[in-house]
Amino acid sequence: MIATETFRPLVLAQAKARKVEPRLIIVKHPIGGLNAQELAERIETATKELAEATGK
Amino acid sequence: MRIFNPTFGLSAAGGETMALKPVNWKSDAIALFSNSKPNARELLDGIRSKLGAFRPVENINFVAKNSASQPAPKDLIEEVAAKYRGALLAIAD
Amino acid sequence: MKDIAEQEVIDIGDLDIDGFNAFALEQGWGDGMPLYPPTEAKVAQFVDTVRGDNRPFAPVPPRQIVPTVQALAANAVMAGCKPEYFPVVTAALRGLLDPDYNLHGNLATTHSCAPMVMVSGPARQDLKINFGSNCFGQGWQANATIGRAVGLILLNVAGAKPGEMDRSTQGNPAKYTFCFGENEEENPWTPYHVQRGFALTDSVVTVMSGEGPHNLNDHGSTTGDGLLTTFAGSMATPGANTIYGKGPCFVIIGPEHAATLARDGYTIESIRDELFKRSRVHASRISKENQETYISTGHKPDGDWFAIARSPQDIHVTVAGGPGKHSAFIPSFGGTTVASVRIAR
Repeated sequence: MIATETFRPLVLAQAKARKVEPRLIIVKHPIGGLNAQELAERIETATKELAEATGK
Repeated sequence: MRIFNPTFGLSAAGGETMALKPVNWKSDAIALFSNSKPNARELLDGIRSKLGAFRPVENINFVAKNSASQPAPKDLIEEVAAKYRGALLAIAD
Repeated sequence: MKDIAEQEVIDIGDLDIDGFNAFALEQGWGDGMPLYPPTEAKVAQFVDTVRGDNRPFAPVPPRQIVPTVQALAANAVMAGCKPEYFPVVTAALRGLLDPDYNLHGNLATTHSCAPMVMVSGPARQDLKINFGSNCFGQGWQANATIGRAVGLILLNVAGAKPGEMDRSTQGNPAKYTFCFGENEEENPWTPYHVQRGFALTDSVVTVMSGEGPHNLNDHGSTTGDGLLTTFAGSMATPGANTIYGKGPCFVIIGPEHAATLARDGYTIESIRDELFKRSRVHASRISKENQETYISTGHKPDGDWFAIARSPQDIHVTVAGGPGKHSAFIPSFGGTTVASVRIAR
């Protein structure tokens, strides 16, 4: 799951309620309202974290 | 003084924590699941493009729920579970 | 020894009221205002009022806990309710648990929505629920504490802790309490609960995930047509969730406005139809980026106009309040429904 750092507590609380342990990729907040240049940083971070988490 | 706990209740989930199935992120079919909020699709699209550098992307597909404010329909979740080995959810912003 | 969260009954020793409040706030049980201790004796009084209603409650999202009646009663006690209010509180919770109400989405959203609780039927008189002047405001124990009890249940049972599972960007004062009665006595049309298929003699709770009331001031119009022009113009807001969430809303008409509309031959149905037609938002008032988002998620305009509801039936109309030339518009979260539940009394 990709979540922003601000919403990490929500994801963790909901995962706990559902008894699941999601693998989280955390990026800076926000996502909405960003222009293409700003969003590129989130894409870069998310892809890097995904690659690390999945052992590329 | 003895009081009733205002948070008390029985957990609807079972006692066991669910384990995730192993996924081969280098080759397995993956769903990119958008929460339908602005920029979620663009974020996932950018990730898909970058994944192309180290894996095939033909079996990485976009999925979205109808509304950012509504839960994903059960049949959509079941479809994703049946068709894909893994799912990357853009879920909380 | 069990963690406090896992204990149904907790021995807190010889704490006085201040000590109990400090303890409760430390546990995260409060909304910031003083709480009454939910002692075993007090909770038992409340539970006695719902003895005839043995239907189990569904798991309450997002925490997914099946509450005990005692835990629900503890919240009503803490809120300052009288025991006889408790059946209204439990009926409201049943409404919130309607799957189409989408409680999980309502609580986790960044939107400011709060549970609007409207009471219809004889319970309003019996419990002294204010439906006249200042019905959305302060001064009535039933209004204040029934709404507050619902809020505490969402905090403590549902787990909607602000900043954690309640992610509202700014919140809304209605999250403290938002309960009022319908003014059936000055309603020239059919009372709301009868519109929904209940008997006139039933007492009914209606819940909707709403923003606070938006005032509709019209001192000048002398016709129903003029009033509807004002109402619709005020409802046509590009910043409301319903512009893309496409959910319900309420128009709570003040008795004097209602009398004018009824005099001019308007019915609930014709008011809905007119408001639906006239409250559309012109594309020139919506940013290009938002238009693209709305269209891409299936909310296509009719020509250059974006509707604020799916149909006239999404616009719920009734009467509340006292003398004066004011009405209210209450937009919803969007992805939700209006749920009405008979109060078991």
